[in-house]
This record gives sequence, structure tokens and C-alpha cells, in this order.
Amino acid sequence: MLKRFELHNHTTHSDASLTCLDLIEHMEKDRVDVFALTDHNTISGHRVVRELLSSRPSGIQCIYGMEYTTYYGHILCLNLEKYVPWDSIDRFHPEKLFEACKEAGALTGIAHPFSYGAPFARGCRFEMTVHDFSHVDFIEVFNNLEPLHEVNGRGLDWWEQLVLEGKHLAHTCGMDLHGRWDMHMHFATYIDCTEEETPAESLARAIRTMQTYVSKGLLLHAEKKGETWHFSLENVHKSGFVSADRYLMTLRGRDVTKSYEISEEKALDLPEDLFPAGPVLIPKLYLSTPDGEAHLEQLICISPPIYR
Amino acid sequence: MEQLYHVEGLVNRDFVGQITYTICLERPYRSMDIAFTFDQQRFSREDLSEELIADVQRQCLEKYGLTYSREETERVILGDMKTEIHTLLTLNDTFIGCIHRQLTERHMHYDGEEATEGCIPTPVFEGVLKVTVLVFNVIKDRTRYTLSVSGEPCEREGETAC
Repeated sequence: MLKRFELHNHTTHSDASLTCLDLIEHMEKDRVDVFALTDHNTISGHRVVRELLSSRPSGIQCIYGMEYTTYYGHILCLNLEKYVPWDSIDRFHPEKLFEACKEAGALTGIAHPFSYGAPFARGCRFEMTVHDFSHVDFIEVFNNLEPLHEVNGRGLDWWEQLVLEGKHLAHTCGMDLHGRWDMHMHFATYIDCTEEETPAESLARAIRTMQTYVSKGLLLHAEKKGETWHFSLENVHKSGFVSADRYLMTLRGRDVTKSYEISEEKALDLPEDLFPAGPVLIPKLYLSTPDGEAHLEQLICISPPIYR
Repeated sequence: MEQLYHVEGLVNRDFVGQITYTICLERPYRSMDIAFTFDQQRFSREDLSEELIADVQRQCLEKYGLTYSREETERVILGDMKTEIHTLLTLNDTFIGCIHRQLTERHMHYDGEEATEGCIPTPVFEGVLKVTVLVFNVIKDRTRYTLSVSGEPCEREGETAC
């Protein structure tokens, strides 16, 4: 069962205007299945949210986490059950913090890597030198309200390049919610969950197997059937999303990106020899435009990478 | 409440890092208040020197490819740039709170099952308390800060424990 995860949210326990109850109500109103609590450098809201959810009939669930807000970048930490100190953060060897979080059972990812830092806001841009990306679980490729090209486009491109180089990194997105912000027509993270798993387990599995979707409301699925790949679209009815007649699917390989037309009604079967060369491909879905090009403004879905 | 510790200090422009104060509690406390202040959070018009404007213009261009006019640069300096200092608390090396809100005067207050948002309620304070001043950004030299730690002891007249 596909569930919508909102993985980056703040409350009055750090610097947002939403109380824990406000956040829950805001998420319920937009039909979010699972939301993360990621206050800056504190986990004090965890207990409050747990208590509030224990008597909540909606069934909405929470991923407990924190946004490590350091001098050299923000690190989203999900499934964090206990506070892991970060005061020995080393700009040139951040792996130590990633590893400490991992030992605590948490998932760690780089939030809004290309946000503007100093002189505007020190720490917002990721300025650490990662030597070993195996310590990083994911990259937040879309921080919805950040500038499209200067921040999110660069974040997406960075993740794609790392994945095409062979790095094992999932992609996520978030609202970075600090108030009652409209979530219509923004990207959300979708994960295929099983009934046996808790949301935390589903998230961990999806991140570790790179099976996350970042989408505005339509998911692009890829499935291998014999010698061909079957591509289809699934409408997950996200708030604000309006279907179109035609879409453009792209497959980005290391050296070339190929484009194909696809629609909700008509799936697409492609033999592998029509793919770009290379062991890894990144499928993305765009709204079709008259010029036939894929524009970041028209991006609808970033699917899990295809490994051949 | 009785004052357990008070300190004042100065930090220089561009300092990044932590300053930690360790307070060995000589008896248990039922409530605790950590008050922190700092000054010079923002630039004022009087601070707009040619050197500062040129430095910010250079940073915007080198880091982000942004070419700002003098007017735009002044807006960044006066509207965006700020000194940013957070406070973090541990008790016996266990995290019990951090204040991220950009307040030049703040309290981390603990009283039984209640605590300031950002802090984890702690019914009894006993052992070693550490207050860490997290300095993210300092825009002016000689930025002054004060830190005061006050507590309400468990044992008062007629009380034997918290």
C-alpha cells in the first residue's frame, strides 16, 4: 500500500509557529499518512506527539527524528529514538556523526544541500566534505519552498550524479514546514508499505533499498517483465494535483538522457536496447510541453533508480 | 530560586563553536532556570561601512553567483545577517534540551513535569549540569553574553525530598 510521507517538519519545540497538535491537525487535513517530527537540535517534542497520537482516531502516524542543525549543514535524522550528540562535528569528517546516528538505529540524510548559507544564514548550505557516502542514507532532493533552480535543481542533479556514479543513496523531499503552509502541488515522498511493517520499518526498508518516490501526485513505476521494461503511471490523488493527457518520461543514464511519451491510460513497454547505456538509470516524469523538452518546472515524479 | 552560577563573556566576530560551562550540583534541585542573553544581534545603519558592503558583495558573488547592488547588499546586511547563538543542556551527559529560537533573551525553565518548549521535563536535577553555548555566527566583535543558572533546592522547610 502506497503511503504519503512528509519527512521534514518543525514545531514550537524549535522555531516553527505550529504546536505539536497544530502539526498533527495540519497533516491530517492534507491527508498525510505519516509525518516526521524533525525539530532543530531537539527531541523534546517526541513525548508530546506520542501522547497526542495515542488518542488520535485518524490513524496518522509519526516518524520521530531531528534535524541536526550544524555550522556546516543540516542533517535530517529519521527513526531517531535517542539524542545523539553532535558537538564534535568535524566539517571535513562528518562521517563520525552519520555513523553515530546509524549506530543508534537512525537514518541520516543531507537536507537542502544547496540552500543559501552565510552571509544569509550560516549552516543552511551543506559545506561538509563527505569522503565516504556509504555513511549517508539519503539526500533531500526537494525542499519544496526553496528556489527551484538555484537550490532544488542543484540538489536533484547532485543526487543523480552520485547515484549514477554508483553511490547507494535514496532520495526524499520535504516541506521543511514551519507554519500552516499550503502543501498543495508540492512534492511528497511516497513509499510502498506492507501491513506487517510499522511506518518506521517501511521507511527504513525503502531508504535502504532506494525505493522512495518523490512526487506531486503521479507515480512512475518501472517493472521488468522478461526482456522488456513496463512503465506505468499511478495517480495517488495528492492534494492539488490535476491530471494531464500526456506526460514525458525521461531515463537519465551516465552519459545521455532519453525521452518517451507516456499517459495514465497507456503504459509503455520498452526493450532494454532502447535505454541509455549504463548500469543505472534514473526515471523521471514531467508534464509534456510543446517543445518536447523536460523542464524542471514541469517535473512530476522522481522514481527509484533502475539497476540493470 | 538561588543562583548557582553566573558568567559574562565576549565573543569575537566570526567565531564558530561551543563554549561549555559545567556546574557540579551540590544537592538535588526541584526546578531549574537557565537564563541566557546576548547583544548585537543585528547590524544597524551605522554599521554599513564600505568594507562590510564590499565583503558581503564578494561573498554573495563567490558563493552563489549573485551580483548585488549596493541597495540589495544593504538589505541583506540589515535584514538577513545576524548573530546566532543557541543553548544546549545536558544533565549527567544526557540531553535535556536545546533552544533554537532566535531570542536575545531566553530561559530554559524546568519545573517538575513542565519545561520550556525545546526542553525535556526533568523532575530532579542532581549530578553534573552542563550548559553549552552553541555559537553559529557572530557578526560583530565584542558581542557580549551572559549566562545565569538558578535552582530551587528540593529540601526546604518541611520538605524532605523532591
